[in-house]
Amino acid sequence: MSRIQIDGLTKCFSKVTAVDRVSLDINHGDFLVLLGPSGCGKSTLLRMIAGLIEPSSGRVLLDGRDVTFTPPRERDMAMVFQSYALYPHLTVERNIGFPLRSRRRPRAEIREKVREAAELLELADLLDRRPRQLSGGQRQRVAVGRALVRDPGAFLMDEPLSNLDAKLRTATRGQLRALHHRLGSTIVYVTHDQVEAMTMATRVAVLNAGRLEQVGSPTEVYDRPASAFVADFLGAPPMNLLPVRAESHSGRVRLFAPGIEVALWEAGDFPARDIVMGVRPEHLVTVPTTAESPMFRGRVETVENLGSEEVAQCAVGDATLLVRGPRPLGLRPGEQVAVDAAADRLHMFDQASGHRLRWRAPDVSPSPPASLSPPSSSPPSSPRAVFASRSARPV
Amino acid sequence: MAVSTTAVTAAAAGMPGERRGEGRRPGETDGPVGGGSPLGSFIGHAVLTLLSLACVLPIGWMYATSLRRPSDVYATSPLPWPLSVGNYRHAAEVIPIGPMLFNTFAVAALTALGQLLTGLLAAYAFAAWRFPGQRPLYLLFVGTWLVPFQVTMVPNYTLLLRLGLLNTLAGVVIPTLCTALSVLLLRQHMESFPKELLEAARMDGRSSWSVLWTVVVPNLRPALAALGIVLFINAWNEYFWPAMVLQRANSMIQLGLRGFLGGTEGNDWGGLMAASGLACLPIFALYVLLQRHIVSAFIHSGLK
Ligand SMILES: Nc1ncnc2c1ncn2[C@@H]1O[C@H](COP(=O)(O)OP(=O)(O)OP(=O)(O)O)[C@@H](O)[C@H]1O
Ligand SMILES: [Mg+2]
Repeated sequence: MSRIQIDGLTKCFSKVTAVDRVSLDINHGDFLVLLGPSGCGKSTLLRMIAGLIEPSSGRVLLDGRDVTFTPPRERDMAMVFQSYALYPHLTVERNIGFPLRSRRRPRAEIREKVREAAELLELADLLDRRPRQLSGGQRQRVAVGRALVRDPGAFLMDEPLSNLDAKLRTATRGQLRALHHRLGSTIVYVTHDQVEAMTMATRVAVLNAGRLEQVGSPTEVYDRPASAFVADFLGAPPMNLLPVRAESHSGRVRLFAPGIEVALWEAGDFPARDIVMGVRPEHLVTVPTTAESPMFRGRVETVENLGSEEVAQCAVGDATLLVRGPRPLGLRPGEQVAVDAAADRLHMFDQASGHRLRWRAPDVSPSPPASLSPPSSSPPSSPRAVFASRSARPV
Repeated sequence: MAVSTTAVTAAAAGMPGERRGEGRRPGETDGPVGGGSPLGSFIGHAVLTLLSLACVLPIGWMYATSLRRPSDVYATSPLPWPLSVGNYRHAAEVIPIGPMLFNTFAVAALTALGQLLTGLLAAYAFAAWRFPGQRPLYLLFVGTWLVPFQVTMVPNYTLLLRLGLLNTLAGVVIPTLCTALSVLLLRQHMESFPKELLEAARMDGRSSWSVLWTVVVPNLRPALAALGIVLFINAWNEYFWPAMVLQRANSMIQLGLRGFLGGTEGNDWGGLMAASGLACLPIFALYVLLQRHIVSAFIHSGLK
């Protein structure tokens, strides 16, 4: 079990900055998922933690010890690769025993540990086969077995499930979770699949273009995304993000755009500004078109059947709004539709930076006008952060 | 000498035909599905048959002649009858065939092994490591290929003279221990070697040196075998350099063969064919031994 601390880690290749000043504290026993779109630097970050590539700047600490320039074999971490990287010339048994032989363990001990790992992963019948005689799922288990025998301080996994079919992936997710539960080891797991992140992680770190967007439990990241990027990346279909204007209207906060009219809580005067409003498709409900003041009015364009649920795509002004609900939704393409949501299901983001905005009530603030500001945790580089306040009332 | 070179080249040229036959397994061909009508296939096989006959004929004739009685070496029957080992006995009387074969074998084996080893280490450095000056250095290696033997011959000779290695087998072997061919070829194979495999081995606790021997070499076995046999044949057929360094005719088989040519009674064909026939045997043996690897080197040419 290891605690891994990453401090301002940066990696520049000749032209691109693959990882940009990422800081993370991964605790003993965490199952941390590094989540992000393809090319955002997840593998590069993982390789720096493993010691396979040297960072351009920043530090990696392992249990408080600086290991930034320590070779991999002195770090006590095991890695499972996306391609599994099994040694083609060795049998399953020798593949699993390879890390132990590297450490010159006695033969009897190696045989015993390999047997244990093989039993745990149901590989006992395959020990004499070579990797090319195995199915994808079996190879994946051998790769996990090879990481497991060593009893390492931390496991690093780079998209280990991406070569499996959907059903096997679900089953293996469960097995990995059980394994984590049983071993209690630290796991750093790279994926671009949000379902894997949501189901397995104890903490999720979302990366975008080399930068860390948010770290938190799966629930936090899903329910309170720190930026429009995180909001958009998590969830299928993704959150609706709609540009709106926020202003004070007869003593209340009002958000509006063509087809959108949202009246929120009471507030004094504050300067109007353009923001991005977010709401998840599953938090939207259709209401009768005759209803008094629905948040959204538009026209249904298509309805997609997902089996148990339906997703309707509606044109609201110039924007598109996705509505998701149990089948049947009762909507037909071409119909007019009115849609509503609970006010506490709405998210607000800064239009320029994409940072989440909080409502700062005027009575607590020393400065008279109320305003929508990014939270205090946003980087000081954003000039609006100066207005952030701890006493901000969450939206 | 001339005959033996032809024979060996013919043996080498004969390989593709055999490879083709043995390498084919269902689903392993690279050609398009359904490519080739029965007629096309017939013509193809006919051409291949003619080519293999052309390759095999000189070797067959050599062995046929060597097995005739010394008095019938000019006979033209395709099969030698009555059989006789007279030519072999005669050849063994004229030159010390056993020691010569042994010397040649030792020189060729040491040369090939040395070239494989230096090639392996250099190729590994070029393929798996990044270091300053890597590209220029590699290009220099490739460049040595363009330097003709005649240019380095005299400096090497002088050096051997100063080191006191003239007239020794070590003198034949040492200057040829590194060749651009093996560096180039092995680097090519290593470049296509999956990088994740090397990284996995490093994660599993191996040093760079140990990764080379426990992961890279076992997976490059087919390439190493194929390259090894080519290097061995090259060294085996070498005539000029050993002749220069050894300066005597009774140390290596290629030099010994010359003794049968242009004597006072003309060429001694019977002895020449018998000695050449024996000179070819080690290479056949090596091919048979490594054949399995060579076949797979040509099918897979590296790892997937
Ligand atoms: N060796 C390299 N040289 C130059 N650029 C590189 C190198 N390795 C990665 N990059 C670049 O760094 C960026 C991040 O790459 P990385 O492999 O970390 O992405 P990733 O998040 O793992 O993507 P994926 O999900 O597709 O695996 C990419 O833009 C990539 O092109
Ligand atoms: Mg990757």
